[in-house]
Amino acid sequence: MSTVYTRPLGRLVEQLQRLPGVGPKTAQRLALHILKRPESEVQALAQALIEAKQQVGLCSVCFHLSAEPICDICRAPNRDNSVICVVADSRDVIALEKTREYRGKYHVLGGLISPMDGVGPDQLHVQPLIKRVSQPQVTEVILAISPSVEGETTTLYVGQLLKPFTRVTRIAFGLPMGGDLEYADEVTLARALEGRRELE
Amino acid sequence: MYLSSLSLRHFRNYIEQHVDFSAPKVILVGQNAQGKSNLLEGIELLSTLRSHRTSRDQDLIRDAEPIGQISAILERQSGSVDLKLTLRSNGRRTVAVNSEAVRRQLDFLGNLNAVQFSTLDLDIVRGGPAERRQWLDAVLIQLEPLAAYVLQQYQHVLKQRNALLKQHRVHGTPLDPQQLDLWNQQLATAGVRVIERRRRLLERLAPLAAHWHSRISGHHEQLQLVYQPNVEPEPQSPEAAQSHFLAQLQDKSTAEQYQGQTLVGPHRDEISMTLNQTPARQYGSQGQQRTLILALKLAELTLIDEVVGDPPLLLLDDVLAELDLNRQNQLLDAIQERFQTFITTTHLGAFDANWLHAAQILTVESGRLVWPKA
Repeated sequence: MSTVYTRPLGRLVEQLQRLPGVGPKTAQRLALHILKRPESEVQALAQALIEAKQQVGLCSVCFHLSAEPICDICRAPNRDNSVICVVADSRDVIALEKTREYRGKYHVLGGLISPMDGVGPDQLHVQPLIKRVSQPQVTEVILAISPSVEGETTTLYVGQLLKPFTRVTRIAFGLPMGGDLEYADEVTLARALEGRRELE
Repeated sequence: MYLSSLSLRHFRNYIEQHVDFSAPKVILVGQNAQGKSNLLEGIELLSTLRSHRTSRDQDLIRDAEPIGQISAILERQSGSVDLKLTLRSNGRRTVAVNSEAVRRQLDFLGNLNAVQFSTLDLDIVRGGPAERRQWLDAVLIQLEPLAAYVLQQYQHVLKQRNALLKQHRVHGTPLDPQQLDLWNQQLATAGVRVIERRRRLLERLAPLAAHWHSRISGHHEQLQLVYQPNVEPEPQSPEAAQSHFLAQLQDKSTAEQYQGQTLVGPHRDEISMTLNQTPARQYGSQGQQRTLILALKLAELTLIDEVVGDPPLLLLDDVLAELDLNRQNQLLDAIQERFQTFITTTHLGAFDANWLHAAQILTVESGRLVWPKA
């Protein structure tokens, strides 16, 4: 395959192809596009890649992606210190932030418990979480972890550890908004039925 | 339900083949390795999205082609449905109903119901418990689409729990009792769902199978199917069943840690099959075992018909010629015109004349269908 491209182009296509969601065709399209752009633009892209990699690390408090030792969310004075939302990944923080409904703090575990992948509680940022939650100002921990097999185990595990310190809640699972009951899939519907609540 | 047409494109040894079915009985005749079973496999895939012959999509696609396609028009009592399955040699398969892409495969299952009967099915009697569980689960998925999810969930938890036990045994990683406890709970929750669904299904299937077996054997033999779960179900309450499950895990915990695998749960279920109180596996003759399988298949057929409210298709892959005339007639009598039946065979000679009557006969030659001259 690589003989089709002249060598530096082949290397670029190969590198692009390693990105998630990028197949051979997309990689080729992106590579050819990059070659067509002015050199300054390509420089900027290359620099952005390097800088992002070199400068972005993890927040020392919540383990969200951050260029500073402590991230913007943890430093924000107007955010609620008493609530911590626990998520698996930085992606989840971004998704929740987009709602603009949550004003508390976060804690990123950095994965889910999965013995198959060799991930146990020790590989996750669980100990720092316990330390944070043991502080008196924390009144609630919200577990916002997806309801997969691994997510469920992680939720239960973390929940058990935190319960002695504070109130622990988990987000609800069920029907998407604006969706008709009849269009919901069976698994979601069964799950929603399981998590039914008393009418208030 | 009734399959009115089928198209195969770069599927197995077919390049491009369209066929309209014009009779409730379709007989595919041809030498070995011409593509008769491939056609039935195509129908099976539309029904279950699984093939009993392979689990790799690559095997299903014609050599060197990137894409293989199976599409069909199915007449159901509720109307006509257009089904399409696209297989990719490197990539995920996609499914469409009435030309609209269906995101989740679960929504595709349950459109086409079919009962498959091939020579491999003798393993249900002769093979080990795994073969019997696989058979039961396949029926379950046809009847309750959610069962596919429940079974998959259980397998997933089981894998994770086994990985944890193995880490401990192989690498000497200390077993975190708190984590093990959580996997136990998850295993029990998922396991109880599997057990309960299997129990319910066998309760309905057993009398039907007994009825058909008795009828085919001329009322000489009594077939008994008994569910032998590894953990006894407690139909009264799922909570009781779960605590029972957890207690069993507790009992076996030393052995589990020693062996590094899960020893309790529905992955160790058995379904016992006895003829006149004697285990069919060891003592049944070839003929008795064939009758038993036929009875199981007829039980599946009638149960799906009853539950779904639309008669499923019957796929007979190379098995009809192996049945003697008496069993052939019993089968014919059972399906009548109600169940559309696809039959593959190398020769028509062994068939009772009644089977050939009003059947659509197609010849299969190296991946092509040949219509007889009118």
